Amino acid sequence: MASLKVGENKEINTDLIQKACSLAVKAHSKSSQKSYILEKTGGSSYVIFSFPGYWSENDWYDGEPFGETKINLDLFPSLRSIGIDEHAKVNKAFQQRFVDKISRNQDFIKEVEKAKNERKQIVFTGHSTGGSIAILATIWFLEKYWRSDASATSPLCLTFGCPLTGNHIFSHALRREKWAPYFIHFVMRYDIVPRILLAPISSIKQEFQPILQFLNPKSSRASTNTPPEALNFYMNVMKNASSVASHAACKLMGNTNLLLETMANFTALSPYKPFGTFVFCTGNRKLVILSNPDAVLQLLFYSSQLDNEAECPDVAQRSLQQHFSYGNELKDCFTKLDADHAVLLESLEKLPLSADSTTTSSDITTINAALKDLGLSTRARLCLCAAGELEKRKIGNKNSIDLKKADTAMKYLQEYQLSCKHQGLGCYDAFKIHKSDKDFEANVNRLELAGIWDEIIEMLKNYDLPDAFEGEKEWIDLGTKYRHLVEPLDIANYYRHLKNNDTEGYTKKGRPKRYRFTQRWLEHAQRLPAGSCGESCFWADVEELRIKTSSKEGYAPFKDEVLQLEEQAMKWINDGVLDKDVLMENSTFMVWWKKQPDPLASCINDIEGFTITSA
Amino acid sequence: MSRIHLFSGGLELANLVVSSGVLYHSWAAVRDLYSEINQNEQQSLSVRYKVSQQPNSTTIAFFTWPACSKDYIIQGGGGEDLVSSSTLKESFPLFEFLCTKTNPQFSINKAALELFASIRDSLPSLKSQIDSKPVIITGNSLGGSVASLFTLWLLEKINLSSTKTRPLCITFGSPLVGDDGLQEATSKYPTWNSCFLHVVSDQDPIPRVLISPHNPIDSIYKPFGTFLLHSELGCACFEDSQSILDLLTATYLEGPENQNPNQVLEFYEALVQHLNHKVICKDTTQLVKRNTKSFEAGIITQLEAIGLVRPQQQQRNNGIDNLITRTERQEKKLVILKRQVFDPSKKLNDIKINMAYLEWYKKHFKDKGIGYYDSYKNSGNLSDLNVVRYKKILTCYWEEMVDEAEKKPQKEGASFRTRWLFAGTNYRRMCEPLDIAEYYNKGLKDYINQGRPKHYKQLEQWLKEIEKPASNPSQLKKQNVASSLTEDSCFWAHVEEARISCELLSSRESSIGEKESSKHNLVEFENYVLSLMKNYAVSPEIFLPRSSFMLWWKEYEEIIRKGIMGAAYYSPLTDLMKSRSYQNYATGGLEIP
Repeated sequence: MASLKVGENKEINTDLIQKACSLAVKAHSKSSQKSYILEKTGGSSYVIFSFPGYWSENDWYDGEPFGETKINLDLFPSLRSIGIDEHAKVNKAFQQRFVDKISRNQDFIKEVEKAKNERKQIVFTGHSTGGSIAILATIWFLEKYWRSDASATSPLCLTFGCPLTGNHIFSHALRREKWAPYFIHFVMRYDIVPRILLAPISSIKQEFQPILQFLNPKSSRASTNTPPEALNFYMNVMKNASSVASHAACKLMGNTNLLLETMANFTALSPYKPFGTFVFCTGNRKLVILSNPDAVLQLLFYSSQLDNEAECPDVAQRSLQQHFSYGNELKDCFTKLDADHAVLLESLEKLPLSADSTTTSSDITTINAALKDLGLSTRARLCLCAAGELEKRKIGNKNSIDLKKADTAMKYLQEYQLSCKHQGLGCYDAFKIHKSDKDFEANVNRLELAGIWDEIIEMLKNYDLPDAFEGEKEWIDLGTKYRHLVEPLDIANYYRHLKNNDTEGYTKKGRPKRYRFTQRWLEHAQRLPAGSCGESCFWADVEELRIKTSSKEGYAPFKDEVLQLEEQAMKWINDGVLDKDVLMENSTFMVWWKKQPDPLASCINDIEGFTITSA
Repeated sequence: MSRIHLFSGGLELANLVVSSGVLYHSWAAVRDLYSEINQNEQQSLSVRYKVSQQPNSTTIAFFTWPACSKDYIIQGGGGEDLVSSSTLKESFPLFEFLCTKTNPQFSINKAALELFASIRDSLPSLKSQIDSKPVIITGNSLGGSVASLFTLWLLEKINLSSTKTRPLCITFGSPLVGDDGLQEATSKYPTWNSCFLHVVSDQDPIPRVLISPHNPIDSIYKPFGTFLLHSELGCACFEDSQSILDLLTATYLEGPENQNPNQVLEFYEALVQHLNHKVICKDTTQLVKRNTKSFEAGIITQLEAIGLVRPQQQQRNNGIDNLITRTERQEKKLVILKRQVFDPSKKLNDIKINMAYLEWYKKHFKDKGIGYYDSYKNSGNLSDLNVVRYKKILTCYWEEMVDEAEKKPQKEGASFRTRWLFAGTNYRRMCEPLDIAEYYNKGLKDYINQGRPKHYKQLEQWLKEIEKPASNPSQLKKQNVASSLTEDSCFWAHVEEARISCELLSSRESSIGEKESSKHNLVEFENYVLSLMKNYAVSPEIFLPRSSFMLWWKEYEEIIRKGIMGAAYYSPLTDLMKSRSYQNYATGGLEIP
């Protein structure tokens, strides 16, 4: 049984791919009533769901120039960046189609659950826009079942000539969740469909109708001749693809010419970005496989570039015809599948820039032949190199901050917390009074840590760290530890300098991003609602309530807030996420709390081991 | 960290300019204007312009006849063709804002300037047609120079803090506009430089007129902005001004002597069409060597696109190899330089740590009843030695900051400053007393006029520019006075001067004149201190028992007792000091009428 190697440790059975491909095409031709077809072969270890495509203009572009919209976070809660909290974008029409036809389809859900319970691998597949539905179905499955059930079999998504579906956050989030490897996209070298959404509807409006007519397998085409609009369509899509690729390449290359920024006002660029593993079919029985999204974006443009202008009409025809040749091409490819015919492009930064094949290394020769089959020029090779270099740099950034993980400043602050407790005052209050040398040392350590964490946040904001970073357990735990230990000191510093008088309260205006981000990491990792891990802000809540209840109105108007704070404090202390030093006799909290009417009735008294010394 | 591989993105940038349609669009605006004129009038040396509104942008095009331009550009020659900014200051001060302290002067080509001056009266109306839409300013030949000058003029008028409002100026076949001063002025501020794109065909003589053909790099005129050079093989962008001079000369394909200069208009028409088709075609680079580094490979593809390196050439000659090396070196230098821009925020946390040390130092000596000013002045302590180090780091940082802010053009400098001024003011109030202590320890006098470092003066000046007039101190300010710093960072210099005055008054050797002026100074000092206290603008640490201020008071009290200030001398401050009611100051409980 042959298999296709699509990654370091990942191989896919070629029979499965071929079966999925034929089912994906078959889904179109079934009666248009069916929103998916299911293939269960008795005894096999997998089931295949395949989805049909749709071919009206509104099935592609709904509203915006590029037809994109905000992702539905109820269905896809992970599709956002965590710290920055930017939501992914997705093609509106595809998402709508998925919501209407699939996610509410009880039959579909029942079949998925049945397959899952039978421990079968679920394969979602689709050709053309059907592929986009398969992608959304796969993510939906991952969110709904896979995440909560570690024993489930991992799903697989196979698409053939599928349009781009989501933007860079979409791609970033899937890589962070480590879901990207479940997606394998097959793209014929010249197939125009995966490139269409790189162009705004305005630039292809005239040609799009007849082209869709041609692409629709259900329509009764008069002949197999490509429509006359093919030429303009190809040129317009490619011109836009060229803009997107050049713009992205400038960024990959670390462009320093600010003209690029100025240009941004005059160019509307497509927001879509690839994700997952792409298998490019060169058209001569070779496959080129890569999964760096930046490199894939470049390849989408460069692989269907023209050798010369004369070639244009011919390529334009092929760009449509190849959309229908996946079945045959893959069959041909899989008859002879060896290292020369399926080339995995990794370590892109080391790609040969020169097509010179007088080298002795057979690896380089193979890669060179593959690049040549995709028609890649020096310029294209440079772009792929830059994509590899960027990825390498991100990893380098991570390595350099990993070195700062075992930080002595954290240790100092942990000891500080303990020694404060021994002296009968929590570190919040000790730091706020700021009387001894230790408080001062703690302040210096706090600032040193702030420097490290601010650097991390800055890198996250620029997407200068690997996509996986915000999902790494080690860093989430360290972030939480840091937040619990040091944020009280930041709050103390804030109220020590009475910064709340110039601005608003700490939580509203003063809270640094390094704490906001780390809190969101934890909430996301534990699937908790946003804002539920605010225990490190406890002291700020106390200070704000202290100010409120000391005003003329007194306690009464804030009674609910006080009660809520007490309940939260109890929960946090019992959960072990808030240090018990808040209950020390002279803490800001206790001094204030004892002054409130009837403290003995409060739930604080129920905290295990808590005894009030004197009211 | 691993070594960073650099890339040269000149090809990609050029490709974006073409594929985005910006190039096509702006040339169409020039062509429009040109066809209008073509039918109606005689060719003359004047600039025509037209504003057109599109749904997403505004385009302003300037046109001149290339045939009329060439000789006009070099009129005068030998330096006569340049007008210096100091001459312009009176007659035409529109570009005065480009001058900075470090770059006080620049010169502009006279022909370009005269043409621009000829539309001076229309400038307001032109500007009024620019709304919130992004604007493209374009022009050909000298019209392009006018477009450049118009854009420069516009830069001062609009808010550039958002990239949305940044104009884009695209010229076609324009001669160079100004000298190294102008180049320096625009490149100092990268946002400005980013607004200019100059398109040059390899067959157009006009952009090369002002470059000395044999020694291009030493030309008086210097390019600024980005240049897009074109050949039949494609196009590429370059940003380094020396490389541009070099390449403009190297790429020129001279046409026949007697050809009609207006023919260049056709070149650009063909150029735009050609690129528009070519943008989806492959480049044909074949690197000769294997293992070429990414940056060099990028430069070679760029030079090939502008027709300097021919792919079919089997053997490259020395000249080309030199050009590749030279261009690579220049462009790389620029990229590296731009990557290392001064970024004060990176160091800000370190600076905060140093400030924290100083804060601690201050607190420590407050508890000892002496105050950090006097402790530092007496410098008997180990921790004082450390403070010297912290202070040095802080001073270096802020000197650099102030320098950097001064280098920036007026408006941008101002917004740069407001971001750092809060921290800068804190630094000034904390550190300057230490400088004053050092100064008077050396036995010197008159710190304020003779010894004050420049960066303190600047920081104070900038604060004054943005501060609102002081109102009565709020209750809050009074309560917090104990933890705040003295607002006037020169306070201790005043104290030292007052003590010198006391000394002069008590000394037998002083002249009568000296004594009179000392008396006068002391009365002024009293008023000064009182007004500070009234505003709660001075730290209560001055009342610590061993502070210089209290030492002054003891000396002064003695002088008063002796009747030197006049019999039964009385003032609000002496009353305050004698009655010891200053003790209420620290808690905010002292009211001074």
